[in-house]
Amino acid sequence: MTAVSPDAGRIWTAARGPLLIGVIILFTAVVITLLRGSGEGGSLDPRSFRPEGSHAVARLLEQNGVRVELTDNPSAVDGATLFVAQPNLIDPARLSDLSRRAAATVLLAPAGATAKAEVETRQPGCPLASKAGAATAGGFVYEGEQRCYDSTLVRTGTVTMIGHGGIFTNRSLDEEGNAALALSLLGQHERLVWYLPSAADRSQQKSLTDLIPDGWKFGAVQLGIAAVVIALWRARRLGRVVPEPLPVIVRAAETVEGRARLYRRSHASAHAASVLRQATRDRLTPLLGLPPGEDPSFEIARRTSRSVGDVRALLYSEEPVDDRGLVALADELDAVENEVRKA
Amino acid sequence: MALTGRAGLLALIGVLVVGLLLPSWQGILLVLAVLLACVVLDLLLAAGVRRLTFTRAGATSVRTGEVCVVELTVHNPGRRLRGVLRDAWAPSAGVVSDRVPVEVPAGGSRTVSFELRPVRRGDRVSDRVTVRSLGPLGIAARQGSHVVPWTVRALPPFHSRRHLPPLLERLRELDGRRASLIRGAGTEFDSLRAYVIGDDVRSIDWRASARSSDVVVRTWRPERDRQVTIVLDTARTSAGRVHGALGGLPRLDTSMDAALLLSALASHARDQVDFLAFSHKVRASVPRATLPVLVQAMAPLEAELVEFDARGVVVEVLRRAGRRSLVVLLTSLEPSIEHGLLPLLPALASRHRLLIASVSDPAVHAMAAGRGDLESVYAAAAAERVLAERRHLTALLARHGVDVVDALPDDLPRALADRYLSLKAAGKL
Repeated sequence: MTAVSPDAGRIWTAARGPLLIGVIILFTAVVITLLRGSGEGGSLDPRSFRPEGSHAVARLLEQNGVRVELTDNPSAVDGATLFVAQPNLIDPARLSDLSRRAAATVLLAPAGATAKAEVETRQPGCPLASKAGAATAGGFVYEGEQRCYDSTLVRTGTVTMIGHGGIFTNRSLDEEGNAALALSLLGQHERLVWYLPSAADRSQQKSLTDLIPDGWKFGAVQLGIAAVVIALWRARRLGRVVPEPLPVIVRAAETVEGRARLYRRSHASAHAASVLRQATRDRLTPLLGLPPGEDPSFEIARRTSRSVGDVRALLYSEEPVDDRGLVALADELDAVENEVRKA
Repeated sequence: MALTGRAGLLALIGVLVVGLLLPSWQGILLVLAVLLACVVLDLLLAAGVRRLTFTRAGATSVRTGEVCVVELTVHNPGRRLRGVLRDAWAPSAGVVSDRVPVEVPAGGSRTVSFELRPVRRGDRVSDRVTVRSLGPLGIAARQGSHVVPWTVRALPPFHSRRHLPPLLERLRELDGRRASLIRGAGTEFDSLRAYVIGDDVRSIDWRASARSSDVVVRTWRPERDRQVTIVLDTARTSAGRVHGALGGLPRLDTSMDAALLLSALASHARDQVDFLAFSHKVRASVPRATLPVLVQAMAPLEAELVEFDARGVVVEVLRRAGRRSLVVLLTSLEPSIEHGLLPLLPALASRHRLLIASVSDPAVHAMAAGRGDLESVYAAAAAERVLAERRHLTALLARHGVDVVDALPDDLPRALADRYLSLKAAGKL
């Protein structure tokens, strides 16, 4: 009886929930993207134009003939200045190897500080930075051969450790002697390797399999074998599947239902109305003791409060009816039949 | 060959061995070798299944829905066999549990029995018997199948037999043992006996009473030794499933039930019953049918998707029934009758009396009563059209002197039997 293919209304009812959720997700994503603003890169990224970025100092260095190479996995550092923005993310052995090969190394806030210091404008107090003069310094205090800015910038051999990266940022580059200090630190050689290690530093990455103990690995292989054995156990049938020879059976009312759907699709309301009228006449005629085919209108009118004309119009009218009229007609025919049966 | 759960368990224990003691490829190989050795050993020591022999005994027919027992005997010429046996049947055979654990000593035999409760009428054929013979370790098993044919015929359930006692009671009322019955056209003189209070005074035989000292009444009995030919239509319309009190059954099954009740009643009334199942050719034929023969003949019948050959059935009935008989045609009142059977009726009706019994569909009646929304009203119109066609056919057939019994599936057997009795009472056989 029920049509299986969904119509537009049903599709809308089913789809509006997921659709609404999709629209909300899209809207939220757009809003978040707009609020976060544009610009790529994070702090101390030489490509970043944002206040905490370092595009300005990189640009200055290039103007002074220094080639800036941004990398997150340095290999060729020989004869170059190595600037490491976050040395704590790097394997110490690898860092010392890199700094040994580099001509000069600048480490920003590495581990091994002796104290913390306020970030403020400090005087150099050493020949190393005397040209630059006062600069924004602070962060951490280190031990070293040459100490500047109250030991927040120290140099031991070719390795320079600086407690705070403010002098390299777009925000503070133009303050005090920051630009001069940054250029003198990073522009020591013609090549600058700008090392921005990411949290997932490839150089110290180990594959997952390296971290798993052997017992687990081989145990997993054996577990796979066990799974195969268990699958073999479960898959083996005790004899073949027996097919059931099914007899031909169809629903007897199927053709009637099909015809009803055809009536509905072609809006055969006139035909349906005449069939229903005929059926009511056929039921009422024997009930009233009339021979088949006789007009029962008069007898019906005699037993009910209806007029002959009304009853005849109801039972014999050939006027076309629309779909709504058909439903009403069916109810009206039922009402007449009930009245006759009661009378 | 088959593995068991123990093999899986052994492989799982191997996970602990490899993981904790021998985490290496050698460890895995070692565990695998042990597992393989156990499997091979088990397979070598398990009893062979190829040389087993089987015999069957037990029920060959059962009424649908009732339980019967089929026995299977396993003869084992080899080593002691321990394992599982499955006697496979199609699902409709209704085997309660088709697998049993078996243990057969060397050279001995064991009998296992299986309960069958067929859910559907027809011949239920057994499939293969499969034996899984476990080794001593229970890790691996030998497995093999044997064909041990057996057929259990699920007979028609004959649900309407509960109607039989009241119908027989009515039949006895027709019988001459009750003199109160008015002599009718369909009765023949039976005997004279003394009047008892309560007898109809109209049945007093005055001439006989004059000759004797008592008042004597005549007794009558209904006509006997008439022929009833039951024709079952197994063509496409009988495949239609109609819902009754027993669930959805094909029209064919309801018709069979009605035919069984009618033949049981007719044989009690000492009429001779001939049975014929027909689609486009003769599917089954039972002359001088008794109930047990009839249910056996009906059991394997199934509906076929072919058109009912009315001409063929008329020819067949005319050829068989020598003398005048009541031909009961169990079919479906479809418009196709008008073109198929109707033109042939004069040939049949001139020699026999025809009664058509048809299963009507309660779903159509329910649809005809549907009101309220457009879908229901169109369904009602379609249903009314079918009902009008049936009324038209019934009227048309009645004009040719054919009786029509068109009843819901639950009522048809009783209605047909009642019509037979009233025909008999009226002497119209």
